Amino acid sequence: MPASTGERLYVATSLADAVAALADRGPAGAPLAGATWIMRAPIRREELRSSYVGIGGIAELRSVEMTDDEIHIGACVTHADLIAALAGVEGCDGLVAAAGGAANPAVRQMATVGGNLCTSDFPASDLSPALLCLDASVELRTPSGQERVPLGRLLDIRRTLEPGTLVTGVVIARKPVQTGHSRLPLRKAGDYPVAIVSMAVALGSDGLIEDIKVAVGSVEASARRWPQLEAQLLGHPLDPAKAYELAKAGVGVFAGRESVEAPGWYRVQVLPTLVRRAAQAALAARQQR
Amino acid sequence: MPTNLVINGEDRISTRGSMTPLIDVLRDEFFLTGAKVACREGICGACTVHLDGRPVVSCLVPLATVEGRDVRTVESLAAAGEPSPLQQIMEEHDVVQCGMCFPGILMVLTSFFQERPHAERDDIKAALVGNICRCTGYERLVDAAAALARRS
Amino acid sequence: MATADPSSVVMNLPRRDARDKLLGRTRYTVDRMSPRMLHAAVLRSEVASARIIRIDTTRARRMPGVRAIALAEDAPGMHGIGIADHPLFASGVIRFHGEQIAAVAADTYEQAQAAARAIEVELEPLPPVLTMADALAPGAPLVHPDWKSYEVLFEGAARGGNVAWEATVIRGDTDVAFARDDVVIVESCFRVGRQNHVSLEARAVVATYEDGRYHIETSTQVPWTVRNMTAKLLGVPASQVHVTVPPVGGAFGQKFDCTLEPYAAILARKSGQPVRLVYSRQEEMLTCLCRENADIKIRSAVTKEGEIVGREAVVLMDCGAYGGEQIFLTTMTAHTLGGNYKLGSIKLATRAIYTNTAPNGAFRACNGVYNTFALECHTDEICDAIGMDPLEFKRRNVLGDGDLGATGQVFEGDVLGPMLDRMERLRETSPSKKHLAGDRLYGRATVVGTWFVFVGPSTATINLNADGSATLITAGVELGQGTMVQALPQIVAHELGIHPDDVIVRNADTDAAGFDLGVGGGRTTVSVGAASVAAAADVRNRILTTASELLQTRPDRLVLRNGRVEIAGIEGSGTTIAKVVQRAHQVTGPVVGSGSFTNPGVPAMPGCAAGHFIDAIDIPVFNVHDCEVAVDAETGHVEVLSYKVVQDVGRALNPRAIHGQIQGGVTQGLGYALHEEHTIGEDGCIRQDSLETYRVPLALDTVPVEIDLYEGAPSIGPLGAKGAGEVPIMNPPAAVACAVARATGCRVQQTPLTPPRVLALLLGREPAVELPHIVDNWWDNVLIKPKAQ
Ligand SMILES: Cc1cc2nc3c(=O)[nH]c(=O)nc-3n(C[C@H](O)[C@H](O)[C@H](O)COP(=O)(O)OP(=O)(O)OC[C@H]3O[C@@H](n4cnc5c(N)ncnc54)[C@H](O)[C@@H]3O)c2cc1C
Ligand code: FES
Ligand code: FES
Repeated sequence: MPASTGERLYVATSLADAVAALADRGPAGAPLAGATWIMRAPIRREELRSSYVGIGGIAELRSVEMTDDEIHIGACVTHADLIAALAGVEGCDGLVAAAGGAANPAVRQMATVGGNLCTSDFPASDLSPALLCLDASVELRTPSGQERVPLGRLLDIRRTLEPGTLVTGVVIARKPVQTGHSRLPLRKAGDYPVAIVSMAVALGSDGLIEDIKVAVGSVEASARRWPQLEAQLLGHPLDPAKAYELAKAGVGVFAGRESVEAPGWYRVQVLPTLVRRAAQAALAARQQR
Repeated sequence: MPTNLVINGEDRISTRGSMTPLIDVLRDEFFLTGAKVACREGICGACTVHLDGRPVVSCLVPLATVEGRDVRTVESLAAAGEPSPLQQIMEEHDVVQCGMCFPGILMVLTSFFQERPHAERDDIKAALVGNICRCTGYERLVDAAAALARRS
Repeated sequence: MATADPSSVVMNLPRRDARDKLLGRTRYTVDRMSPRMLHAAVLRSEVASARIIRIDTTRARRMPGVRAIALAEDAPGMHGIGIADHPLFASGVIRFHGEQIAAVAADTYEQAQAAARAIEVELEPLPPVLTMADALAPGAPLVHPDWKSYEVLFEGAARGGNVAWEATVIRGDTDVAFARDDVVIVESCFRVGRQNHVSLEARAVVATYEDGRYHIETSTQVPWTVRNMTAKLLGVPASQVHVTVPPVGGAFGQKFDCTLEPYAAILARKSGQPVRLVYSRQEEMLTCLCRENADIKIRSAVTKEGEIVGREAVVLMDCGAYGGEQIFLTTMTAHTLGGNYKLGSIKLATRAIYTNTAPNGAFRACNGVYNTFALECHTDEICDAIGMDPLEFKRRNVLGDGDLGATGQVFEGDVLGPMLDRMERLRETSPSKKHLAGDRLYGRATVVGTWFVFVGPSTATINLNADGSATLITAGVELGQGTMVQALPQIVAHELGIHPDDVIVRNADTDAAGFDLGVGGGRTTVSVGAASVAAAADVRNRILTTASELLQTRPDRLVLRNGRVEIAGIEGSGTTIAKVVQRAHQVTGPVVGSGSFTNPGVPAMPGCAAGHFIDAIDIPVFNVHDCEVAVDAETGHVEVLSYKVVQDVGRALNPRAIHGQIQGGVTQGLGYALHEEHTIGEDGCIRQDSLETYRVPLALDTVPVEIDLYEGAPSIGPLGAKGAGEVPIMNPPAAVACAVARATGCRVQQTPLTPPRVLALLLGREPAVELPHIVDNWWDNVLIKPKAQ
C-alpha cells in the first residue's frame, strides 16, 4: 500500500485506491493530476508537499459522458480531451474556447479540469468562469462520502477543503444556451488572460433573454458571477453594444487585483469590451446552429 | 522504486526519485540531450517530447507518472539516421540559428502535422504558441513548415 | 591577377551545423557531462545593500555530497571595464539583490543547492539606492564609497560618487544656437526599462583543473576575456587558463562578459573534479546582464526650415551595482543619439550610474536601441513643432557624404539618403496593410538609425592540408548567427579558390588561436573575416610560389579556382591545389598562413569627446525601418501590421543568412518595444522572475519582415562586407513608438508599449515622464567644467 514505498509520489490505480491513499497521508498529502501547477512550485519559491497521490491516470476520472440532461466531465479530463469531446456540442462553445485558448498545445495535453478548478492560488483559470456561467456543479469525494456542490461554492471553500478531498467530476446540465468566452492576454499569443468574461444566454423565440449568466475571471483572486449585469440584461434582446454600455456603468463592483503583469484598474477597465466580445461570440454560436 | 519506461522504442529503467522531472531523467540519466531545459515552467517548449504519441513539456512530467509509457524524443525523429521530412525542410530552408529551440519545435510540429497535414501558416503559428525561439523571429521556420504542408 | 572566381563569394551557403542541431545531436555547454562531474550552486544575497558581518560554512561543509566551497578569499582580484570595481564574490558588502556570496560544488545539483542554503550569513542591512534619481540625489549613500581607490583601466573619464563614468561630447556652441531668435526649442524626456536576452541556453560552464591549468568549457562570446578575467580574479597567470567554446545556444551580448566561469574554476581546483555550473532560468532573470534602464532628456534648437542648429542631451544609464559594459557603452550615445542627423552644435553627456541593483551588460545594439527610440520620437516632436513632414525632415537632415558626426568625424558616402529612397520604393511596391486595422486606430512611421561595427583586434591561422582542404583557426564563436559556418568559410574559400565545404572551421580555443576581442558588435565577419583574408592571402602566396615552380609559370599568371591552380585563360592547364600542397611538403614544408587585423582608426575632431573609448566609428551601419500598427483603443493592444527594413550591409555575402538575422533581430526589437521589461521592486529585486511575467514574442506576435539589402556603402570590411546581425534590433522600438504616437495622438515617452501603458496613455492617466534629476542647464548635469574661454 501507498505510504510504505516511501516515495513522494504514489501513482494511484483506481479511484478507491486514490481515496484511500489520500486518507492515509492526511494533511501531508495532496492529489496530483496534470502536475502542471505542482511541478512549478520551485519557480514560485514554494516547497513541494512531502507526498502526492497521482490521479491523472485513473480511467474513471478521465471520461466525458453525455446524456440528454447532463454532461459529466471527469476531474482528470485534460484540456485537449475536453476540446475533443465537446467541440460542436450545443452550449459548450464557450467552454471549448476556454479550454482551447488556455496555455499551449503541450500543456493542454497535461493540465486537467480538476486541477484547473482546484488550484486556489491561480486567479487566471479559464475553465472557472466558463463553467460558472454554465451553472456547473462539482462532485467531491472524501473518505466519509460524496457530495455535490455548486462550482461557485468550491471556489470559495477550496483553500480550506478537508485533507483528502478529491474532486471527481464536474456536471453541467444540458440547456439550450449559447455561450461565449472572451479572454484578454497581454501578448497576442499564449499568455495567462488578465481578464476573462464568459457568458451563457438562453434566448426566447421572441429574441429576448430568458436566462443569462455572466462570469468574470482573472480580475479578482477567484472567478465569480456578475449578478447585477445579469439582472440588467434579462428580458432584453442580446445586444453586444448595449451589454457593453451596461457593463461600463457597472464595473465598479469589481476590485481588480494588482500584479506584476497588469495593474488592477486595467483588468476592470477592459471588462465592458470583453462583455461585448463574449456576447458577440454567443450570438455567433447561435448563428452557427 | 525504479520506474520502467520505453524511450524511443527501448525499455529503460530509471532509478531517479518519483517526482523527478522527466526531462532530467532523459538528459542526466540516459544522456538524451536533444530535448533542452530553458525554463522549467512549460512556456518555452524546448523540452517537448511525445508521451504516448502526444506532445508534453517534459519539465512538468513527474517520473512516476510515466511508468510503462512510451516516450519519444527528438533523437527518434530521424528513423535509421535519415532526417524526417520536417527536419529536411528546415535544413533546406536554412532556418536554424542557435538551434536550442528546434528539438521542441520539431516535436510539436511533428504531432501537429499528423493531425493537420495541410495546415495553413496561421495555424502553424498558433500551434507554436508554446515554443520560444529567441533567434529566428519564427517567420522563416513557419515558411518552411508551410512549404512542407503544401508538399504533402 | 591571381584571385579566385569572385562569383563564388556571394552565395546562400547552407549552415553545416543545421543537421545535427535538428537531429538533437549538437552538444552545447549545457549538454556536456563527464564522469565524476560535480554540480555547482551559488548562494546569492536576498537583500540589496548590507554589510557582511559573518559567513559560516561549517554546517554546509558537513552536508551530504559537498566537495568544495568557494568564497571571497578564493578570488582576491577585481575586474571591470574601464575601472576594476567588481569582485567575484561580495566581499565585505552586498551591493545588489542576487549578488554572489559563495559557491558550492557537490555530487548533485540538489545537494549543492541544499548546502548553499545551509551557509550562515549574518548581515547588517544598509539603505539601498535603487533608482538613478536616488543615486544622484544630494547626500545619497554611495554604492562604492571607495571608488577613488579602484584601479583605472582606461584613462580620461570623469567619475565621482555614484557616477561610475561620464562621457561627454562638446562640438560648437550650443548656447549661441539656443539663443538664436529664429529657432524653435523642443525638449523631450524618455525612460526605458531593462531588457533580458533570454538566450535559450542559460549561461553555463564546465571547468576542470589538470596539470596546473584550468580548462574552461563555456558558453561565451568572448573566450579571451574569460581567460584573462578569470586569471585576474583568481590571481593566477593568464597562461594557466585555457578556454574552449562549444556551440553556443544564443547570446545576444549577454555572454560578452566573464561571469560564472571563475566560480567553476575555483571549485574545480579545490575539488580536483570537473565542475558544472549552469544558471537556472530564475538566476538568469534576476541577474542577467540586461540592456540597462535609462533616463534621457534631449533639447534641440531647430529653424523653421528644419535645420538643427543645436542639440543638448543627457543620457543616464543604470549600470547597477558594478560598472561593467555600461562604462564602455557611454561612448555609444555620441554615435547613436548623436547620429543620424547633421547637427550645427552639440553637447552630450552620458553617465553610467551606480545603483544597488543587479549589474547590467551588453545586449545587441546596446544603448543604440533606446537612444534611437528617443531620437526618433524627439524628431517627430520637432516636426510637430515646426509643422514639417517627418520624412521631409529626415531627407533634409540625414548624414551624407562629407557631413560631420557628433564627435566631428567626417562621414563618407551618401548612404541614408538613398536608403530612404529605397524605403519609399518598398512602400510603393508593397501595399499598405491599413485595411487590417479595421476599427482600430492606425499609425505608420519610417525611422532611421545609425550603428557601427565594433572592429578591433583579431587573428587567424590557416593550415592548407595535403588533401586540398583548409583548416581555419580563430577565436571566433558560433552563437547561432552563422558567421563561423557561413561567412568565414565563404571568405576563405573565395580567397583560396576552393569550395566553402572544404574549409574546416575550428571552434574557439585560446590554446590554438591568438587573441580576439570576441564575437559581438557585428564584428566577426569584419574583424575575424579580415584576419582570415590576410591569412588566406599568406597561404595563397605560398601556393602560388610552389605552383609557379611546378607549372613553370609566373605566379601572376596563375589563378586559383575550383580547387585547382590554373594558368590564366587556359582551363585544365594546371594542377590541383592538393598536388601543390603535397609538393610544398617536400620543398618548403606544410603550407600555413596567418593574418591579423585591428581597427585602422578614423579621426574625430580633437577635443570634442571626453571619456570615450571610441571617438569615431570605423564602420557605420545605417538602417531605415518602416512599420504600420493598429491600436485597440479599448484595450491598448498594439498590433504590428507590417514591417519593412532597408539595411546597409556593405556587401551581402550570404543574403539568406542576413534575412534570417533581420527577421530575428526585428522580432527581438518588437519584444522590447511592446512587452519586454524588467522592473525593480522595493526590495531591489527584479520583479519579473520567469518567462510567465517576462514576455518575449511568440510566433503569433511577429510578422514577416519585408527586406531590402542596401549594398555599396563604403566599408573597410573584407570584400566590402559589414556586420549584419546586430543592427536589425536598433529601430523597432523607434518605429513602433512613432507609429503608436501617430495612431493615438499621444506623446510616447516610454517603452515597452504594453496594453496597460497604451490604454493609460489613451485615457490620460499615464503620468508624464519628467526627469527632474536631469536639470535644464546642461553644465549642471556633468562633472566636467567648462574650459575657461
Ligand atoms: C505555461 C502554462 C500556461 C498556462 N496557461 C493557462 C491559461 O491560459 N489558462 C488556464 O486556465 N490555465 C493555464 N495553465 C494551467 C494552470 O496554470 C494550471 O497549471 C493547471 O490548470 C493545473 O492543472 P493540473 O491538472 O496540472 O493540476 P496539478 O498541478 O496536478 O494540481 C494543481 C492543484 O490542484 C490540486 N488538484 C488537482 N486535481 C485535483 C482534484 N481532482 N481534486 C482535488 N484537488 C486537485 C492539486 O493538489 C494541486 O494543489 C497554464 C499552465 C502552464 C504550465
Ligand atoms: S523547459 Fe520545459 S517548457 Fe521550458
Ligand atoms: S534558433 Fe536559437 S532559439 Fe531558436
